[in-house]
Amino acid sequence: MPDWLDVVVRSFTFLIVLFLVTKWLGKKQLSELSFFEYVSGITIGSIAAEVAMGLERNIFNGILGIVIFAAAPFVAGLVSLKSKKVRDFIEGKGTVFIKDGKVMEDNLKKEKYTTDELLELLRKKDVFQAADVEFAILEPTGDLSVLLKKENQPLTAKDLNLAVAPIKEPQNVIMDGEILDEPLSTIGQSRKWLNTELDKLGVSIENVFLGQVDSYGQLTVDLFDDKLQVPSPQEKPLLLATLKKCQADLELFALETKAKEAKHMYTKNGGKLQGAIDKVTPLLRN
Amino acid sequence: MTVGSQVKQCLSSLKSIEAGLSSLALRTQDIEAKRNLHETMLVTHEVVLDLEKRVGELEQEELQYKGF
Repeated sequence: MPDWLDVVVRSFTFLIVLFLVTKWLGKKQLSELSFFEYVSGITIGSIAAEVAMGLERNIFNGILGIVIFAAAPFVAGLVSLKSKKVRDFIEGKGTVFIKDGKVMEDNLKKEKYTTDELLELLRKKDVFQAADVEFAILEPTGDLSVLLKKENQPLTAKDLNLAVAPIKEPQNVIMDGEILDEPLSTIGQSRKWLNTELDKLGVSIENVFLGQVDSYGQLTVDLFDDKLQVPSPQEKPLLLATLKKCQADLELFALETKAKEAKHMYTKNGGKLQGAIDKVTPLLRN
Repeated sequence: MTVGSQVKQCLSSLKSIEAGLSSLALRTQDIEAKRNLHETMLVTHEVVLDLEKRVGELEQEELQYKGF
């Protein structure tokens, strides 16, 4: 067998082996959460490259080495699932760099991080002032996780005591002009319904690049033709506006009528509608 | 426009709201939101019933506008 053919055979063999090994180890190996996985990942790659090009080496020894280096993190992962102690030993523990807003200089020294490197890690987290940080921990992967002081955290609806409409994940029902049936049945709708919604927007299915349905059954689309303007869903705001109009009408009737009983009925129902409006406003606001 | 026709207009708007809320509640995936929308629909329905009664009374008073 000529040398070049040998290289071709070896390369394809190791491509397949590497593919199977990465499938076997799964996503955890890719995320390289522990130092162990990081090192074994590099070693597996090196062995494959070495044996694919080094023609004097035995293919099966190479595969054996790869399998062992893949099996070790796999077994370590299984064991660390069971025991916290093993987990701490294999995957390592984080080191606290900032606690109660104060930098822990001793811990920095222990991990051999300079002040500049700490500031660099903080800047990667969009923190330019160390005083803004309440707590920061160096993860075993080398990432810095930062908890900002409460006043520096982004404002949330919870902070404002604001009622917001709950949402679920949107479903992609149209991709590249093709209807996807599975997401459509997940939200319990049919192709017929989708076609009606598209007609309402005034677009044809071939022109739709991406179509998504939110958790309130509203369809939003992106078109291939970017010059066309697509109206945003108006159903919910329209419903809220009509509800408010009816409530105002009822109050007006209550003021206008001379019949005592009718006045009472209008006032009562006006109050009922006001309560209903308060309840659904967060849901119907876009 | 007479008072009677104004009330009738309001009544039909409320019926449309009731239907809109009902269809929205059916399509909504979140259970909490679904329940809120459905409860609001029921409240709207109570108002519709009261207004229908009032429309009947008004038709008695203004017989010439009956049916519109």
